[in-house]
Amino acid sequence: MSSEPYSATVRALFDNPAHAGELPGQDPVSIDDQGLRVQLFAEFEGDRIRTLRFRAWGCPHVIAAAEAFCAGFEDRSLADLDSFTAAELMQSLAVPVEKTGRILVIEDAVRSLGTKLRGTLTTKQD
Amino acid sequence: MTMSDALIYLDYAATTPVDPRVAETLSALLTADGDFANPSSLHAAGRRSRAHVVKAAERLASLVNVKPERLIWTSGATESDNLAILGAARARQHRGKHLITMPTEHKAVTDPFHALQQQGFEVSWLHPDGRGRLDIAELEATIRSDTQLVSIMHVNNETGVTQDIARIGEICHRRDVLYHVDAAQSLGKLPLDIGNLPVDLVSMTAHKIYGPKGIGALYVADRPGCTIEPLLFGGGQQRRLRPGTLAVPLIAGFGQAAEIAASSMADDFAHLTRLRDRLWSGISGVPGITLNGDPEHGFPGILNVSVADIEGESLLLALEPLCVATGSACNSQLQEPSYVLRALGRSDLEAQSAIRFSLGRPTSAADVELAAERYREAVAKLRRIAPTRAE
Repeated sequence: MSSEPYSATVRALFDNPAHAGELPGQDPVSIDDQGLRVQLFAEFEGDRIRTLRFRAWGCPHVIAAAEAFCAGFEDRSLADLDSFTAAELMQSLAVPVEKTGRILVIEDAVRSLGTKLRGTLTTKQD
Repeated sequence: MTMSDALIYLDYAATTPVDPRVAETLSALLTADGDFANPSSLHAAGRRSRAHVVKAAERLASLVNVKPERLIWTSGATESDNLAILGAARARQHRGKHLITMPTEHKAVTDPFHALQQQGFEVSWLHPDGRGRLDIAELEATIRSDTQLVSIMHVNNETGVTQDIARIGEICHRRDVLYHVDAAQSLGKLPLDIGNLPVDLVSMTAHKIYGPKGIGALYVADRPGCTIEPLLFGGGQQRRLRPGTLAVPLIAGFGQAAEIAASSMADDFAHLTRLRDRLWSGISGVPGITLNGDPEHGFPGILNVSVADIEGESLLLALEPLCVATGSACNSQLQEPSYVLRALGRSDLEAQSAIRFSLGRPTSAADVELAAERYREAVAKLRRIAPTRAE
């Protein structure tokens, strides 16, 4: 049992959310669920994700999780998005179990982003 | 600023540090070379301990203008509230089982009333206006022939809003109803002339006035019908109303803290008023900010604000190194919107973004300047991160 509700990683990500913001000209995927609001913006080249940005309204764990996702998936392939899981993120950020639902909202946003980007890629290839 | 690691402590409504003079008194009574004996013992050492208890009772009694023998030592305001409410309701239930309180009371008051409801008592919950004040006419209209007890606090712990306890008590006494006041937030901070107020039961605690934690008191008026039943059994101490060995060091510390409060109350009040005004001036320009409380009837040591479209838990973390409260301090580990602010008509979103700044004797002008700056920055940061709301 810890007296600290936030891990050092969560604090660092929350204090410096370098990927917070928008990408001009990009429509985000938006999730509004459980009182949380998350938007993910992405730019990609071929099947590589070049830039990720987020906006989030939620607790520090949600903001840290969104930042961790963006920082971890830039310059990776679209297919890598499928490897993202809330469970893994919860473990790396030491998110308390009662906040599982909130991190699952991030997972929903990532899934939606993957679907959107693949759809865009398919359209471009057509 | 007296806290270590550059923390800025602005949570004095939750608790205060022990005054060094009080700490000295307290520690001198703990060990073999001090007056550590049981004050109920008849031997010389016991009598010496008892002298400390008597002196503390005189000091606290002097602060609130009552006779020392009308004070019962407890473990704090929570126990005092429970003893007053449960004790009075049970002692008077043969006369009627109707009770009155407000949903904005501290949990130490609302929970005993909920317990009494489970035991067959009927409780009327009087809702405050949007600023947190009681509608006196509604109180008057709610009192019935079988009403036995009204419990309405002096200063609200979340908003600092004060109630007109003199008027409430006058109405209660006219209708032969006992009046209990939770004075945990007002003791030693606002004039509390209990001896000249129409009140019957008053809960007090030491740790809000730079005394030790774990000690409180209940005033029980000496008037016909003002009787309470004990909650604890097992000894004859304190007229059997609250048995148990008296905590002499804590009691002595409480007494000294009360004496210090009496001498510094006017200066403290002026100091807090200056700081509160300075803090509000520094943050009142934040877009979407709302003051929770009543500027005309508010204790200056507490400033409670909500801000539009900001998540409370993130705000609290972004405010560090400020130590402030969100919701009520006693249940701030729960991230539920404050029930007090909900009762004032605030939405869940408004209530959960609420921050209570509570100022104290050690708070400096630099502390509140930094707090205002930090608050402005935190709100701006979280707004930069948040998605724009669809109109």
